[in-house]
Amino acid sequence: MTGSSFTRRGFLGLTSAAVAGVGLSACTGGGTSTGGGQTAAASKNLRLFTYEGDETIGLLKAQIKKFDAENGTTTTVDSLPGSGAAVYPDKLRTELLGGKGPDVWRIWGGQIGSPFAKAKQALDLAPYYSKFGWDSKINTAAIGGMTFDGVKSGVPFVSLGIGAWYNKSLFAKAGVSALPTTYAELEAVNDKLVAVGVTPCGLGGKYGWDIMRLFEYLLEHTAGPELHDKLLTGDESWDRAEVVEAFTLFKKWQDKKWLPQGALGLDPADIEPAYVQGKTAYTITGPWTEAAAILSAKKSPSAFGNFELPTDQTPARHSGFVEGYMINAKTGNADKAAALIDFIVQPATQKALQVSASTVKGAEPDPKALPLSAEWADKYGSNPFYTIQDQAFPKKQADQYFSVQSDLLQGSVAPDAAAKKMQEIVSAWAKS
Amino acid sequence: MFALPALVVYIAFLIYPALSSLFFSLTNWDGLSATYKFVGLENYVKLPSDPVVVEAVRNNLIWTVVTIAVPTVIGLALAIALNGKVHGKPILRLIFYTPAVLPLVSIASIWGWLYNPQYGAINSFLRLIGLDGLAQPWLGQDSTALWAVMVPAIWLRTGFPMLLYLAALQGIPNELYEAATVDGATRWQQFWHVTMPSLRPAHYIVLALSLIDSFKVFDMIYAMTYGGPGTSTQVMGTWMYFNVFQYYQAGYGTAIAVVITLVAIAVGIPYVRSQTREAS
Repeated sequence: MTGSSFTRRGFLGLTSAAVAGVGLSACTGGGTSTGGGQTAAASKNLRLFTYEGDETIGLLKAQIKKFDAENGTTTTVDSLPGSGAAVYPDKLRTELLGGKGPDVWRIWGGQIGSPFAKAKQALDLAPYYSKFGWDSKINTAAIGGMTFDGVKSGVPFVSLGIGAWYNKSLFAKAGVSALPTTYAELEAVNDKLVAVGVTPCGLGGKYGWDIMRLFEYLLEHTAGPELHDKLLTGDESWDRAEVVEAFTLFKKWQDKKWLPQGALGLDPADIEPAYVQGKTAYTITGPWTEAAAILSAKKSPSAFGNFELPTDQTPARHSGFVEGYMINAKTGNADKAAALIDFIVQPATQKALQVSASTVKGAEPDPKALPLSAEWADKYGSNPFYTIQDQAFPKKQADQYFSVQSDLLQGSVAPDAAAKKMQEIVSAWAKS
Repeated sequence: MFALPALVVYIAFLIYPALSSLFFSLTNWDGLSATYKFVGLENYVKLPSDPVVVEAVRNNLIWTVVTIAVPTVIGLALAIALNGKVHGKPILRLIFYTPAVLPLVSIASIWGWLYNPQYGAINSFLRLIGLDGLAQPWLGQDSTALWAVMVPAIWLRTGFPMLLYLAALQGIPNELYEAATVDGATRWQQFWHVTMPSLRPAHYIVLALSLIDSFKVFDMIYAMTYGGPGTSTQVMGTWMYFNVFQYYQAGYGTAIAVVITLVAIAVGIPYVRSQTREAS
């Protein structure tokens, strides 16, 4: 019996341990390495990790092939297109911790790129800024977006502004003959569109960041540039009339059906291109939509247009953000990786990649290939921008903020309570 | 010695990561840096005061009860129906079991489209039959989102109990039913006094495995609602993921993982004991 008892207990123990192992090992990222391993040995192989979509990955691979031919390297390009900043950084982080991180990766600036710099997973690129003269070739404000605690950890190659991208035929159907130049005119446009049965603004609330673009615009409108910037850094309290007014307007957009029905549950990937399909009149997005939504749908750019959302403020600003490349601090090929980045930020490469809002001087969008992006750059490219809010806040605070948005649109909190809640979130972050 | 290779694999891929996770749950590691500090039980102490943890536990409980009870009852009903004289039994069995083998992300995408408030089949059907008032933004409001995600979960989880029950039903000796008939038992009485007691081992397996499965719920919620709107569909699995992989709070997130694991063990132990008892 002893043997039987031992076997049973042993089996019970081992099985329990197995359950524990399976459960717990799910969150270790496959190991316990906290540093991502040692510096890799130098080689001629590079790996670049990005989130290019199907419409642009071919262009990138063609340019990388050219770089390889000129430099005797073999560069692998991996891409994770799709849900944007909600998923890509996780994959990157897991790769870095697993010690198999890419040599070069694309990343957003602000609080999305910041953790990689602060954890020293990204290389300090100051020596390469000197070597390749990036300071004089790249827009200074954009470099600021990839500088963390004074360390230049990334090389921005795109600085994107967010505005309204609209379907001309639906505006015409609603009798809109002139683009809105004031907030009141924008509201009037929305009313006209609803009157002819068209949903004005196509935004989705899944993930939070898409519908956020409306609220941040409303906040710019009600608070103005100076206060908006101070709110984002926690230097001013959110518990104030301007914020309450912005939340009130935000709710108004939903209540007046200026947003799609059930917007909170919609996936941005589904609803953003709806203006191209004629299901909504416009969306709030950036110039990438020209390649990703208009051209990929084989539609003529002449059927669409864009305008900066009117804020009634001086200076007129729009939401914006930068994206760039970082180099793995553990790579054994830092020089080659830097050379690859330098190749990518050459004006000729930027044009070949059809970058719609390049930070590189001399790489403005080609009006023939991307007429709408060129038009945006020409009209609004030099306007200042405020930091897009999901880059202004760390992910956790951004998600808490998205929860406030969600509660407000569902009517479970009032605008003044939402402003108070935001103040709690931002002040807790600012103190930490 | 013959067990050594397996033991090495077991230690390397289960025991070592598990102990590592346990260790990291006692630190403030951000999941990215090379450094961290030992904080003792601080992460565990914080759990009850985290409002999302409270919400997630509540959602886990609702999920567990509903996605066990409903598929089990439907699965049993289908098994009983298929155990009789039914034409096309293999095809029907295949149809009912197919959702269980479909990739979860595909199921989430399909149902995401069905639930689309403007163009989805569900709201379109409701409008077609004049029930416009019932058309809802199913995944876009706190009051319906969790329930809406549970429907496809029920759909895909019904096939498993159905198969188990069907196998068990086929093992019940026909003589028991014949004897009951001779004794004058109605079909309903036969069901309660012959079928159900004979299915006891199957009930146990279905319940135990479904319970463990329910505590691990992650993929359907992640793919369909991303824990939203707000945090209304967060469960412990997704909240662990958000903390470890998105908020750079690996220590705290790992503490959540440890708790999930302990609960799963507590639930799994009676099942394991019953199995070992039978084996011995």
